[in-house]
Amino acid sequence: MYATGAIASRRPNDMLRHIPALSIAKFTGLLILAAAIACFVLAPIIGEALFASIWGVEPLTYIGAALLTIGLAVLLFAFALPQALRRPSKQSQRDMQDWSSVTQQYFELFDHDLGRPLRRILGKERELRAYLRAAENGANGHIDIEEVTELLDEIEMQAPNFRLMMSNIRVLIQLEAPNASLEPQPVEVPEVVRRIIDRYNPVAAEANKSISWWAEPSEFGIVYSDSAAIEHIVTNLVDNAVRFANSQVHVWLTREDDRFSIHVWDDGEGVSSHYRPHVFDRGWTPAVARREEKTSSGLGLYIAYTLSIGYGGDLTIENDTTSGPNDHTTFVLTLPSHQPAPAGATAGEIS
Amino acid sequence: MTESRLQRSILIVDDEWDSKVVRSVRKRLDEEGWRTNVVVPFDFIVSGDDFEAEALYAIEEDRPDGVVLDVRFGEHGSDRFKGLAILQKIVEHHPQLPVLMFTQYWKGPDREIAVRGTLKWDAQVDFIDKFASPEEVVMRLRRLMGTTPDTIRIGDRISIDNANEVVYVHDADKATPVTELHGLRFDILQELASTWYSSPGEVVPFAKLMRYTEGEDPRASIRVRIREIKVAIGKAMGVQFGAGDLIINVRDRGYRLAPPE
Repeated sequence: MYATGAIASRRPNDMLRHIPALSIAKFTGLLILAAAIACFVLAPIIGEALFASIWGVEPLTYIGAALLTIGLAVLLFAFALPQALRRPSKQSQRDMQDWSSVTQQYFELFDHDLGRPLRRILGKERELRAYLRAAENGANGHIDIEEVTELLDEIEMQAPNFRLMMSNIRVLIQLEAPNASLEPQPVEVPEVVRRIIDRYNPVAAEANKSISWWAEPSEFGIVYSDSAAIEHIVTNLVDNAVRFANSQVHVWLTREDDRFSIHVWDDGEGVSSHYRPHVFDRGWTPAVARREEKTSSGLGLYIAYTLSIGYGGDLTIENDTTSGPNDHTTFVLTLPSHQPAPAGATAGEIS
Repeated sequence: MTESRLQRSILIVDDEWDSKVVRSVRKRLDEEGWRTNVVVPFDFIVSGDDFEAEALYAIEEDRPDGVVLDVRFGEHGSDRFKGLAILQKIVEHHPQLPVLMFTQYWKGPDREIAVRGTLKWDAQVDFIDKFASPEEVVMRLRRLMGTTPDTIRIGDRISIDNANEVVYVHDADKATPVTELHGLRFDILQELASTWYSSPGEVVPFAKLMRYTEGEDPRASIRVRIREIKVAIGKAMGVQFGAGDLIINVRDRGYRLAPPE
């Protein structure tokens, strides 16, 4: 499980405005100032009556001066203390700046990655509407159910993009949190993979591709890990594989003594050795390498890699020349299968 | 040919019971041959407690085979996680009843806390998000309920009648039995179809298919049987299946079913 962030603790402490003692201090300070002014005004008039002879004026003036000093001090304390306490330290200023830049990045991500599928949906929806209008006006004679279904299917196929992006952004925010704890739980890994395949089967079928998966051994058993993290990492890998495959994606699980691995292979053009060192960089995509416009955020593999390392595992790329003459690529996620994470391990340490 | 001996029923408990999302899921469940019942409030203004009472009553009354349950039952503080309270009661009183939580809180801390706080990890409970397609909901329920129906439809043209051990090829309204498929050939196809039914794309390993073989070379024996199955069904359909059609050998690890288009 990833713990939630500590965003609230970084905000200014507005509670100071509501401390009753400070209000009392302000009121008292004003009262003392008023008394001081009264002393100054009354000193020439009644000072002699109160205090005999030449010394009559001066004591009241002295009292007024003392009260003025005390009143100003009280007021200064009452107004300046909250400001002093509210002023952020250099560290918290840095945190705030970091947080602003992270927030800015998220907005850009939303704008880019959620905007793209949304534009496609809107485009298809408008195309569909225009088509229906034309059919209604008799331009096409009748509504072609197949064509309508095709447009609706294309709209539906954008859903996995949205789900993955929302999930990526959620995990990224959790990874930024300094107190994210990593606790292993019993996990049925084949069931996690089944869920992912359920989601991507229609997407693959729509593009005339297929996904096959298996476990070795077939009775895979239980491992101790984090199902949400595994699901997130493998979803990113499968999403990638379905996108770049020519026709087939294979996912298989293997298990050794204290580790298990999930292999994701596709028969598309592999990642060239030139690009491999950058594949897990934040924001890197093949489009970036070709200096073209990005079609994805390049966050998926970065998050997948960061999570893998955070859970004491690894995410690597392997060459695969066994399945044909082409150099296909296999991503291999390896995680510990039953060793609980060391106490106090946090996502802050891994990002 | 009957679809099933006893029609399975699913109870849907969701405060947005008439929303397009729930309606599309319900329609898909109906297509699956499952009878769906929806908990509908009697009044316009209802709380999560009303849904809880109605849901528990419906479970006692109808004895469904599975429940699709929402988590949030309104904006009131006590209703935001009302579904988890209902889930806890269902698990307490009906521990064998599969429950699919259909929710926006499908993962993350809330889900983890909910599961850890109320359930044992192996309870018959699963979570799925509301973005999931109706097809995904059906797949998840198939696995949760864990049974294979009497008849499995493979695409539009093939069906396997498990009860009578007959494979049919459909052409319009006509269903023609494929008489060559019986004995070990039927068993192999049934094994592949059952796996495909609950988990499309999953490869049935050679080790699992070995029990349907004879002779000294089990792998060769399976290859022969698979070829015979493809030829028999292909003949009935008037097509010829290649290596990548109907039953596919995946990396020599095993076979998987791929419904013909």
